Amino acid sequence: MIGAVRAIARSLSMATATLVTLVACDAGSEAARATEGGIPPSSTDAAAGYRGVVLEPGPRPDFTLSDVDGKAFGFREETESQLALLFFGYTNCPDICPVHMAGIASVLRDLPWEVRDRIRVVFVSTDPGRDTPERMREWLSGFDPRFIGLRGDLEAVNRIQAKLALPPAIRGAVPPDGEDGGGYEVGHAAQVLVFGAGDRRLAYPFGTRQADWRHDLPLLVSEFQASYAPPDTARASNARSGLD
Amino acid sequence: MQWWCAARGSAWTWSWQAYPGVWLLVLAIALAYWRFFGFGRRLPARHADTNADGAAGSRGVPPRGWPGWFVTGLLCLWIALDWPVGALGAGYLASVHMLQFVLIALVAPPLILLGVPAGRPALRAGPWNLLELATHPLIALVLFNLVIIFTHLPSVVDSLMASQLGSFLIDMVWLAGGVVFWWPIILDRPARPGFGFPMKIGYLILATIVNTGTFLYLTFSELPVYSTYELAPPVYGISARDDQTLAGLLMKVGTAAVLWTAIGVLFYLWYREESEEPSSTSHA
Repeated sequence: MIGAVRAIARSLSMATATLVTLVACDAGSEAARATEGGIPPSSTDAAAGYRGVVLEPGPRPDFTLSDVDGKAFGFREETESQLALLFFGYTNCPDICPVHMAGIASVLRDLPWEVRDRIRVVFVSTDPGRDTPERMREWLSGFDPRFIGLRGDLEAVNRIQAKLALPPAIRGAVPPDGEDGGGYEVGHAAQVLVFGAGDRRLAYPFGTRQADWRHDLPLLVSEFQASYAPPDTARASNARSGLD
Repeated sequence: MQWWCAARGSAWTWSWQAYPGVWLLVLAIALAYWRFFGFGRRLPARHADTNADGAAGSRGVPPRGWPGWFVTGLLCLWIALDWPVGALGAGYLASVHMLQFVLIALVAPPLILLGVPAGRPALRAGPWNLLELATHPLIALVLFNLVIIFTHLPSVVDSLMASQLGSFLIDMVWLAGGVVFWWPIILDRPARPGFGFPMKIGYLILATIVNTGTFLYLTFSELPVYSTYELAPPVYGISARDDQTLAGLLMKVGTAAVLWTAIGVLFYLWYREESEEPSSTSHA
């Protein structure tokens, strides 16, 4: 009986130690998440109340790539009136990309239309060889038909990522035949960048949960709407004050 | 190589994986059964009324103590723990995790216990006292429901499913909880004369009600509650929320199916006992 009690006590102490270790690992990954990505986290905006990592303010990137219809899409001009979510990934990604896209799409479906309407999700392919326009359209439509897919040659995409201080996408080796259908993986940045009001920039690393998006997106849209003045409105306002 | 199924974070593949810990457990349970009860008992040619141990069997249904019950229960346990069900449930789909729960806690234990011959196990002093206490119907019901609640808490699932030891602990707690829960229904040791058919039926009806909270929490949560499954590499494009809703439904429907089947069987046995009593009296 005493032996059995000792064995149970040993098992419980092992389980407790495992739990403590797991919690410690989790805390470590939180810290890693906070520092992931190239743009340094902002120290002044740390208490802004967002669950994403608030980055040093900066302008929206100015780049032009082709959308899935082959038309030129200028990121800064096309998204200036909306909150923009920008992600670099590829459609054959087995884990990070579909989890991010599915999570965002799921939360957008639940948001009121007036909030949803102010959000634009842009997916830039880091695997232009396999991500044909048709493939991208089909893949993105599986999440949300309003998601925008952009593609260009990998050098151009990596230049954009470099400007955002993101690591370049790296194509992995093709595994031997018979494994993974002869495909390959692409190493790429795992965070979604959000461009909000003014120069507001945030990063949402892999591990961001739907609850985090649900919390932050309405706040970000609200902040955006409060500060955004459409070009026409700004001109009219300037004219009224004699500045135009 | 992993010894027990746990969340891996890599994309799901249908390539077979070996989990030697599962095989060892299944083997250990089979050896324990063989050591204590043996596999030698044959199904009686006519098991209509009684078996060799004197336990009543239903017409066309093998009686208590038939090793086939045990083997079927052990097979259910094996299926629930090993690849692919075990691997999918540990790190990819909450719905398969719930299927595992139903198999490990609700299906396998009663079948394994049905394989225990009547009048066994012979309870002695020592550790059996603890078992006797744990299998008291009131305590068993409370314990089992605590197991259901505790092992479905998001913090517990997300912490434990990430490691093989944690995943093993959850599976073992389910199995132990299931054995404790079904013990007073199926086994006649320790003898509990006051716990007859009506009490057993009431016990099971109560059990169908108390898991409703967990079911409602899972089925109607607006957001995925388990990060393990929300952030897992997707399997066949099933969304995290659909998967969770399915998990909640499986918990309710799976549990109800097992418990109401058992309630039906108990009603039948009760009815048969009641209807046979006068005739046996008249014969005497």
